[in-house]
Amino acid sequence: MSLELKQKERCGIINPMYNCQPAGAQFASIGIKDCIPLVHGGQGCSMFVRLLFAQHFKENFEIASSSVHEEAAVFGAVKRIEEGVMTLAQRYPDLRVIPIITTCSTETIGDDIEGTIRKVNKMLEAEFPGRELHLVAVHTPSYNGSHVSGYNVAVQSLTKTLAKKGEPTGKINFFTGWLNPGDVKQIKHILSEMGVEGNILLDTETFDAPTMPGKDAFAYGSTTVEDFENSANAKGSISLCKYQGASAANFLQTQFQVPSVVTNTPIGIKNTDLFLEEISKMSGQPIPDSLVEERGRAIDAMADLAHMFFANKKVAIFGDPDLVIGLAQFCQEVELEPTLLLLGDDNSAYAKDERLAELEKNATAPMEVIWNADLWELERRVKEGQQIDLIMGHSKGRYVATDNKIPMVRVGFPTFDRAGLWKYPVIGYKGAEWLAETIANTLFVDMEYKKNKEWILNVW
Amino acid sequence: MPLKLLKCDVTIPEREKHVYIKEPGEDTTQYLPISNAATIPGTLSERGCSYCGAKLVIGGVLKDTIQMIHGPVGCAYDTWHTKRYPSDNDNFQLKYVWSTNLKEKHIVFGGEKQLKQSIIEAFQEMPDIKRMFIYTTCATALIGDDPKAVAKAVEKELGDVDIFVVECPGFAGVSQSKGHHVLNMGWINEKVGTLEPTITSPYTINFIGDYNIQGDSQVLEKYFHKMGIQIIAHFTGNASYDDLRGMHRAQLNVVNCARSAGYIANELKKRYGIPRLDIDSWGFEYCQDALRKVGAFFGLEDKAEEVIAEEVAKYKEQMEWYRAGLKGKKVCIWTGGPRLWHWTKALEDDLGMTVVAMSSKFGHQEDFEKVIARGNEGTIYIDDANELEFFEVLEMVKPDLVLTGPRVGDLVKKLHLPYINGHAYHNGPYMGFEGSVNMARDMYNAIYSPLMKLAAIDVREKAALEVGV
Repeated sequence: MSLELKQKERCGIINPMYNCQPAGAQFASIGIKDCIPLVHGGQGCSMFVRLLFAQHFKENFEIASSSVHEEAAVFGAVKRIEEGVMTLAQRYPDLRVIPIITTCSTETIGDDIEGTIRKVNKMLEAEFPGRELHLVAVHTPSYNGSHVSGYNVAVQSLTKTLAKKGEPTGKINFFTGWLNPGDVKQIKHILSEMGVEGNILLDTETFDAPTMPGKDAFAYGSTTVEDFENSANAKGSISLCKYQGASAANFLQTQFQVPSVVTNTPIGIKNTDLFLEEISKMSGQPIPDSLVEERGRAIDAMADLAHMFFANKKVAIFGDPDLVIGLAQFCQEVELEPTLLLLGDDNSAYAKDERLAELEKNATAPMEVIWNADLWELERRVKEGQQIDLIMGHSKGRYVATDNKIPMVRVGFPTFDRAGLWKYPVIGYKGAEWLAETIANTLFVDMEYKKNKEWILNVW
Repeated sequence: MPLKLLKCDVTIPEREKHVYIKEPGEDTTQYLPISNAATIPGTLSERGCSYCGAKLVIGGVLKDTIQMIHGPVGCAYDTWHTKRYPSDNDNFQLKYVWSTNLKEKHIVFGGEKQLKQSIIEAFQEMPDIKRMFIYTTCATALIGDDPKAVAKAVEKELGDVDIFVVECPGFAGVSQSKGHHVLNMGWINEKVGTLEPTITSPYTINFIGDYNIQGDSQVLEKYFHKMGIQIIAHFTGNASYDDLRGMHRAQLNVVNCARSAGYIANELKKRYGIPRLDIDSWGFEYCQDALRKVGAFFGLEDKAEEVIAEEVAKYKEQMEWYRAGLKGKKVCIWTGGPRLWHWTKALEDDLGMTVVAMSSKFGHQEDFEKVIARGNEGTIYIDDANELEFFEVLEMVKPDLVLTGPRVGDLVKKLHLPYINGHAYHNGPYMGFEGSVNMARDMYNAIYSPLMKLAAIDVREKAALEVGV
């Protein structure tokens, strides 16, 4: 079958499906323990992103702003960094890392971030002798890439700045990419079953913060400064998202000879198989029976659904490239037909992604892949009558689904219009099972509302 | 010592000037917290940017207008799906946002061509839409693009479109407030008076400073229509672009949010001689005052009394029932600015609650004068409060409820404190008579929810007691 790959033709955006670079850098930063990023730009650059995280997680995350104002356009804004870092250091005694995240305004002005960090380090040494506080320059001008590359840049900058050679840890680095806490939990589950020690970069499982009798639990990231330092001393690195975090793993390979493997994002059975094989190869640990059983359970559940309910249904998927491609691969395993894939931002590398060639080979219906896409690409096609039976993507596309009565499975980030989705995995065998059953239940509700052979469910 | 340096602020002593605790016998001629001043970097303030004040608060409400944001994609992405202002045309304004998707090459060579092409595309893709707001952002302001020239050229080229340009990059001013100002002044300078409204009543008003959060505007319109008053323009709840071009024809400007829209009311007075009447459209008692004042202006006192009698009869009993449950409950109001003075006395008079702490993100001196005049002794008044200050104040005042945004709400939940969304509401509308009941109901439900009481129980201790350990 054919796979047509093209870039969006319009130059402007109607309904963006991706955010700007600083948002990605902020997401990476909140995954670190004792860390408050300082976003160097106007106050909206951090306030809105904090709001977005709160919409998705229903949790609060600490992100500071350097509050850049007009005079910066003339005089530069490095003073605001100095003041911001010192204020954070004074008022947050446990703070160990401050990523300094640039934005379009401060990159256009041309503030010297590295020079300022050297100066502020001296100020810190004078005021807090012996205190360990890492300032990390993260260059994320909003006019390049998207939150995808912003996340990648941040993880790379953090790794470059913090990693240092020491005793081998025997652990494997896992660069998660911008996945949900439910996915991170799933990675840890797999590692625990395999008896492998992982160094999770970044560990967001603790974003799911309880309300405790002692009133002392808040949402935070769990990856420590030591985890970043020791990333240089790992047995190897496995990156789960090619476009989010793999650059850091490649840096560790070049700089510290830590072997780097970039796997397909482990969505679906085959991709999870590959993931487990890589872990097994790198760690020397066999794949345990328990995971073979999990795999079997997933296939069992998927087989109940595939040719009965999924076969030949046309699916449109939008979002981060690794997620979209992984979901498309999953769809093909359960006989869904991914016919429209929308990949964000203008990264021309998407066109050369080998996974697209594989999708084309396995496709049972013609596929269209649009990069540098926006959500109008989806809406326009729906309005023009293109058949789409299921939409998969984040909540920003909700009106395309609801206005046109197309069932939609929320996945990725942000999923603010559904409760708690981020706690569940889409990766691993469990993720495959969850995805299949969530898709099925979504289609079932649609059959009932539209009275579309809903009586099939009487005897299923 | 009415100005107070909180413990968390010892290293930033200038914060003392922003925190005031009212004591007996004092007034604002003696003490007034500093406000509308630049935030100290790194304090984890709650403030947004001026672009947000223009786009998200005022312009983005318009129900028939393309919102073209000239800048990198984030400014559009982040101000979309972040507000609860519906409309009577199936919520066009909630469903779409436009970005010129500025890239590095535009930073180097200028973004005007990209802007022009994006505008033309936007009109082409939605041929029924003929109106547009363009907003500059930090990046496009710094490179010196001239969006007004581009807009003029497109208007000429397409013939049947009207475009308004708001030049308020995020770094302008110290908060959202600057964006309100820029949009107000731009609109009166460029658009008011460019279209004649159809007059259908001898009594006409503009309703200024209400953004139809969860349907507020529609509640208020109902009252005025019952009084036979035509609302020429609602600035900007549920409004269309062209409504706002005819603001010069109203006989009276009724102003609710004086902070975000007082400017245009003042200008309408200066330029067109239209008087300004400030009212509170939240609060059961206040709402009666408001309708009486408007009625008195037009000689429609009887009509006002009719509406009031009907509404009070409908909702009085419910208000009293909620009052019994809410009486004496302590509440914090941590919102943008004006709601502090709209709500503090309303919550006390209508429901018998006590407002123990208030924080404003972007209020000015005049807002603090009003709120301190209406507020209690012993209450803490803070300008631009930050996260550590919030924690400290909670410890000081121990409230039963916090009216604030969802993010701070998520935070106080961990401290077993319920919150009600003070910006977008839980289940509004909150304005008018029925809105007052809605707000009382939401606060009551939050305070009496079993969950926060369950959260305080340590099941280990309970189990230990039961087994006698």
